[in-house]
Amino acid sequence: MGMTSAASWRSEDLPPVLMKSAPKRQRSVGRLRIAAAGAGGRTHLLELEEQGALRGRLPRSDGGDMEAVIVNTSGGVACGDTFSIEIEARGGARLTVCTPAAEKVYRSDADEASIHVRLAAGHGAALHWLPQETILFDQARLVRRYEVDLAPVSHFLAFEALVLGRAARGEIMSGGQLTDQWRVRRGGGLIYADALRLSGPIGALLAKPAIANGRHALATLLYVAPDAEARLDDVRAALEPCASECGASAWNGLLVVRWLAADIEMLRRDATSFLMNFRGAPMPRVWAS
Amino acid sequence: MIMAIPTITPLAGKPPIAMADPDAGPSADPVDILPLLAWLSPAFPVGAYAYSHALEWAVEAGDIRTEADLAGWLEDLLLHGLGRNDGILFAQAMAAAGAGDGARLIEVNALAVALAPSAELWLETCQQGRSFLDAVCAAWPAPALLAQAGLLKGEVAYPVAVGLAAASHGVPPQLALEAFLLAMMQNLVSAAIRLAPIGQTAGTRVVAALAPKVRALAADIRTLTLDDLGSATFRADLGSLRHETQYTRLFRS
Repeated sequence: MGMTSAASWRSEDLPPVLMKSAPKRQRSVGRLRIAAAGAGGRTHLLELEEQGALRGRLPRSDGGDMEAVIVNTSGGVACGDTFSIEIEARGGARLTVCTPAAEKVYRSDADEASIHVRLAAGHGAALHWLPQETILFDQARLVRRYEVDLAPVSHFLAFEALVLGRAARGEIMSGGQLTDQWRVRRGGGLIYADALRLSGPIGALLAKPAIANGRHALATLLYVAPDAEARLDDVRAALEPCASECGASAWNGLLVVRWLAADIEMLRRDATSFLMNFRGAPMPRVWAS
Repeated sequence: MIMAIPTITPLAGKPPIAMADPDAGPSADPVDILPLLAWLSPAFPVGAYAYSHALEWAVEAGDIRTEADLAGWLEDLLLHGLGRNDGILFAQAMAAAGAGDGARLIEVNALAVALAPSAELWLETCQQGRSFLDAVCAAWPAPALLAQAGLLKGEVAYPVAVGLAAASHGVPPQLALEAFLLAMMQNLVSAAIRLAPIGQTAGTRVVAALAPKVRALAADIRTLTLDDLGSATFRADLGSLRHETQYTRLFRS
């Protein structure tokens, strides 16, 4: 049996069915590193490294806060893509990181797309990770790993929203894979881990009451800061107007909020009004679309 | 006819099991599973009856009204959430403890504690884990158990505590894992019977129907590692957040 294309793949690595349909597409690789530090009440850039499909944009900053926008120039995430993002807010920095639009993860014929995110906040730093939602197309395969290292006294906020299947087209995910792994360390010790794993007939799984009860837009917020537990009552009050099913909990100096919504419009309405209230600031300008 | 006698490898520091007991009958079995039966009994003093893993919220929300609802909810917890994750953590803790790898055991425990998705589920695993470990060290002391229990200062996750005890007492890993998972399901059925209009007989049927799924999952878990941890039960976890503010509560989770 002769080799088909994709010279970099050895034939024994692939089952025969995949060899025939091995995608010719060039895989996208991207790496981005941003480091900022605070001094004199302002935040300034220390490092900006870009490779491949990822770019970092720094729109004007308000007061002492810096905003960084991560741009994926390949226009989405497809099978075999590998992205690596490192964000470091050193001592005293106030940095908010976001994306200019929803990230689309396309159907994969074979390999998983992989995104590795490393976030660090130094002493007295505030790091807010606020990407817009990730949309998985049917048969998408995505593995994301987030490693977060926080100084004992720092403020960290992360918000991640997921849409499973293109609801506007009535798409149900008949197959695919999603793995989101979070590991958060404070002062070197592991304080929070989250492992979301959806594999196989994701649409059918989402229909189950213990999984998503037929909804397919979900989001998780994690806040780690000295005032995390003290804010729980205010957070619960701020969630009351939400149309999504949502709830909050706080323990060990961290606070978690989860939303489960029928569609992304409901989720965005609920989450943006909550985030504006919680952060006491408007959403990053790229969010307004 | 000669029966195959299961054998186990004695652990370092553990006295070899006496093979020639003059009082033992012809079916003498060197594997003693009686401690496991005691540890996983509802009467064992870990307070398992106080936790529902957010079933109390699911009943309040109207998701669990019938035997079929309960069977479906628990099967999803077993295969896509709590059961699979705690099963992996149990198996990994047991392997680490059996190999005397204290650093690995500490790592598994730290991850197990960190994976709690809410304050109440953190309490559910940590309170039962600490109670279990203290009770077993007091009543079933074994050198391997006491040495490794001393490494787990602070919070101990329940599956790690039971895995450590089972390894220290030479319980066969697959049997221990199956029993651990079935006891978890049985405890949740017991909670559901107290919460929902589901009778004892229906609850027992649910446990019986889950048993083969427990065995199949335990077989799968043999090939899994910490990298395979992952849960899909987003809404059950969300329910544990909402349970914290539920108006009427019998359970601590």
